[in-house]
Amino acid sequence: MAAVTAAHGSAATPGERQIATLQVCRYMVSTAALHDLIGPCDFGVSSEDLARHAVEALRSRKFMAYTVVLAGRVHADQLCFVPQDGWCDILGISTNGWRRHHGDHRRGLNEILSDLAAAVACARLRILSATEMAAERDRGVPLAAAQLGAAADLARARATIEAALQEGGLDATARARYILCISEAASNMLLHGGGGGTLCLRRLDDRLRTVVVDHGPGLQFTNWIEPPRGEWRASMGYGLKMIFDNLDAVGLHTGESGTTLLLDHMNMRGR
Amino acid sequence: MLQTTTTLGPAPTVRLSGEVDLDSADVLRAAVAEAARGARNVTIDFADVKFIDSSGTGVFVRLCLDLRSQGVAVSARDLPPQVRGVFDMLRVRELVGDEVFASA
Repeated sequence: MAAVTAAHGSAATPGERQIATLQVCRYMVSTAALHDLIGPCDFGVSSEDLARHAVEALRSRKFMAYTVVLAGRVHADQLCFVPQDGWCDILGISTNGWRRHHGDHRRGLNEILSDLAAAVACARLRILSATEMAAERDRGVPLAAAQLGAAADLARARATIEAALQEGGLDATARARYILCISEAASNMLLHGGGGGTLCLRRLDDRLRTVVVDHGPGLQFTNWIEPPRGEWRASMGYGLKMIFDNLDAVGLHTGESGTTLLLDHMNMRGR
Repeated sequence: MLQTTTTLGPAPTVRLSGEVDLDSADVLRAAVAEAARGARNVTIDFADVKFIDSSGTGVFVRLCLDLRSQGVAVSARDLPPQVRGVFDMLRVRELVGDEVFASA
């Protein structure tokens, strides 16, 4: 699986200077071993040091974050250790010094990457391995599905999901919020996920879940860094933040063969 | 689907009806840019907008900033709760300034 990368100007290609990376690995308590989730991971820190910090985060039950500087160069803007139940997620975020130019109103790249780390830290986002996602994505009963191959399909997809949510008794406020998040994920899929994919709304015992699947190049930040010339519809960079801020739980698996998102709305009184 | 109706004059108004998303954001951009040609002010009426997302919001923000740099002031009017909620989430007021919403 390739690291999540973006290079300046166009799609990342080997040999180009990397502009942004998000790498994620997991330290398992049961095996005392590290496993790449979004990788291969190179945080500029030895495996022994990673494991030591992971154990410390688990022991203290605290989110820990460091900046990794090697030979005067920032190797990782943030190296985050997020203790979980039986494991510790380790996120390495590097922007390679990339910053917004003056007047750019979009969300900063370091902010987008930090949104991801913060969502993991507060247990809103679970980064899943391919095996874990395979076990999760088909759970529950399918209620509605939509295929998207172009932006023109968005309105129809929203209407399909909305009708199923209404039939399921979800109130108007929760419906509007959930539909917005699903639409943001679908727009991201169209912009960054190879131009198309599928949505499937499913009912599980304790939640509604929308599974968003694309077969694009994996989670990248290329379009954010340099939107296509003349493209007015480029991402503002807020889609993921809106999803994390408004949903109860999100699952993510991303790699060279595509990205899958689980968007969960829990069945709770008043939601 | 997004429909626009423009009332021409020295201070044109573009009335939006429908959904402003990744698909229709260009319709918003084109309608407002056309209405702003030769004007000092342009008003966007959101009263009949049923849905807006971050793509539609991004185009609105960029229109406000680009037109301002060309000497055209944009005003937003009659924001329904869904639009207001998304604009609040995305802190649009901080990006474009309170004056855009003086008549909202």
